[in-house]
Amino acid sequence: MSARDNILARIRQNRPQASALPDIHAVPFIRYDDQFEAFATLIRNLGGDAVQLQDGQSVADIVAARWPDAGRTVDLTVAEHEEVDDPHAWHDVDVAIVPGQLAVAENATVWVSHPDNRFRSIYFLTLKLVLVVPREAMVDTMRDAYARIDMEEHGFGAFISGSSRTADIEQSLVMGAHGAMAALVIFV
Amino acid sequence: MKDDSVKHPQAAAEFLKDRAQAKWHDSAIWWVRQKRDAQAKQLPEWEELRRLAREIKAHTLSQLDDYLAQFEANAQNNGVTVHWAADADEHNRIVHSILAARQVKKLVKSKSMLTEECGLNPYLEQRGIEVVDTDLGERIVQLRHEAPSHIVMPAIHLKKEQISELFHKELGTEAGNNDPTYLTHAARANLREHFLTADAGLTGVNFAIAETGGVVVCTNEGNADLGTSLPPIHIASMGLEKIIPKLEHLGVFTRLLARSAIGSPVTTYTSHFHQARPGGEMHIVIVDNGRSDILGNEDFYQSLRCIRCGACMNTCPVYRRSSGFSYSYIIPGPIGSTLGPSRDMKKHGSMAFACSTCGSCSNVCPVKINLHEQLVLHRKKAFDQNLLPTGKKMGLLAMRFLTQHPALFDLGGKVMRKVVPIIPESLTRHSAWSRAGRDLPPMPAQSFKEQYQQRSQNKQDKEEQQ
Repeated sequence: MSARDNILARIRQNRPQASALPDIHAVPFIRYDDQFEAFATLIRNLGGDAVQLQDGQSVADIVAARWPDAGRTVDLTVAEHEEVDDPHAWHDVDVAIVPGQLAVAENATVWVSHPDNRFRSIYFLTLKLVLVVPREAMVDTMRDAYARIDMEEHGFGAFISGSSRTADIEQSLVMGAHGAMAALVIFV
Repeated sequence: MKDDSVKHPQAAAEFLKDRAQAKWHDSAIWWVRQKRDAQAKQLPEWEELRRLAREIKAHTLSQLDDYLAQFEANAQNNGVTVHWAADADEHNRIVHSILAARQVKKLVKSKSMLTEECGLNPYLEQRGIEVVDTDLGERIVQLRHEAPSHIVMPAIHLKKEQISELFHKELGTEAGNNDPTYLTHAARANLREHFLTADAGLTGVNFAIAETGGVVVCTNEGNADLGTSLPPIHIASMGLEKIIPKLEHLGVFTRLLARSAIGSPVTTYTSHFHQARPGGEMHIVIVDNGRSDILGNEDFYQSLRCIRCGACMNTCPVYRRSSGFSYSYIIPGPIGSTLGPSRDMKKHGSMAFACSTCGSCSNVCPVKINLHEQLVLHRKKAFDQNLLPTGKKMGLLAMRFLTQHPALFDLGGKVMRKVVPIIPESLTRHSAWSRAGRDLPPMPAQSFKEQYQQRSQNKQDKEEQQ
């Protein structure tokens, strides 16, 4: 027998007593009166920021005001965006503006899975990550989020909350471990 | 590699010699426990979440073979190659054969306790492959040729001065610059080069979804994401207990994991991998290595519900005061102290005794494993298998005899209350519990039983008077 069949046979033989799968939707989960407020308050502690696009303002305006001296900027939210043939080619991106499909109030995450993006490396190589999310695409908890997401980007999708961070040296929180050093969520 | 020959009491005594460091270790980890509490209190449904998580895992384990088969079929449909490894050796051989066939020279790894368990790094290094651990804490212990001392905070046993010294030697940072931000960013620059030049990336797995055939990896640093989005090969190694039935169940587990682990509402990145990046290939290695045996053990199979958050070690009064290196098994703390003896009682039996049976671990466990009860059962096994040191065994036998003979127990107590106060200090100084500043408490005039009887008598008298 193969390793696979051996393992599965042993598991079948060793099955613990039967146990029913619970209905995770039967339990009431927390609700937020002001989802944006909850999201924005939280993300500021996670190395990020959140703003709402005002009338007459563009995403580019907000980005330019925040980082006037930005280097290489790639905007995946526009249809005609830059493409590369190799995931390493994004290594020197300073600002990446990418579409987020959904935001979650309880933990300030944004779901990223963009059908029109080839190499996911851009989300992690960029120094500053700007996530553009429709303001109606906000849910309270991860349970609501999982009911609404799809893996639309080459079988990949991620919830991203704020900046890359670590506390591996004496529990001191440091922003910018390997991924983005700054994160900005713009609700449009 | 971890020294698996250590015995907990001796190693802990060694650790406690540096009182300042031990105190720092204790309080730093307790702080994480407090952050966990603060997060838990923000969710009115916290206890319901724990119940749901427990039930989802219990159900999955009861049909694990079906779910694994379903996971495999769906992963294959996604174009992922699935491998099965009966033990650590087979896992290492599979990983090496994937890498060797593609002439891989450098592998970047994100955190994986499974590959520590399997000893993958030395296996690959002996075969000429450079392995770079990329989680900052793991990188630190790798450069120090140490094992992680905690499953979530691998370098929690180190002070920033030690890390500064290490980075000065290995990465050329300024001598004496102990600033955590400076040191972290120096490691970032160094590891960024490794990410960009690696030929393959390996990750662990937090959750494997049977319904979709994908795996979920949670990190704060983004190292798993860089390690899999740049090189053309992604290998994900998973213990076979990582399965959950459906995508929607992540709506329970992702709410519990980071809150329990680090007291944060979520990890920075919760990444779902179902296919390789364009032009790449993805492999999943499903590892048994003793897990299916634990599944068949009625007393211990619940330990397979574990999601490796580390909350049990953060709360454990023994772990906090003895550090991960006092435990012989690669996973320390309460969960390691049941998994280790389940795997090899002879080697890891001392771990089951590194427990005050306070039960705090079971109370914080997000999947409600009966940890402290399992440790007591392992002690029983260790006793039955005659694996206790003679002194401990004789002590237990004496205690058993005494508790079975109440009259003798009472007499013993009476004698002790009279004799202990007149023993000269020079005789007690050398006991295991004795040290400077730690005297025996004054002996009470009466035993608890006597006090209790007297109280009941007083109460009765009072009632009669009324």
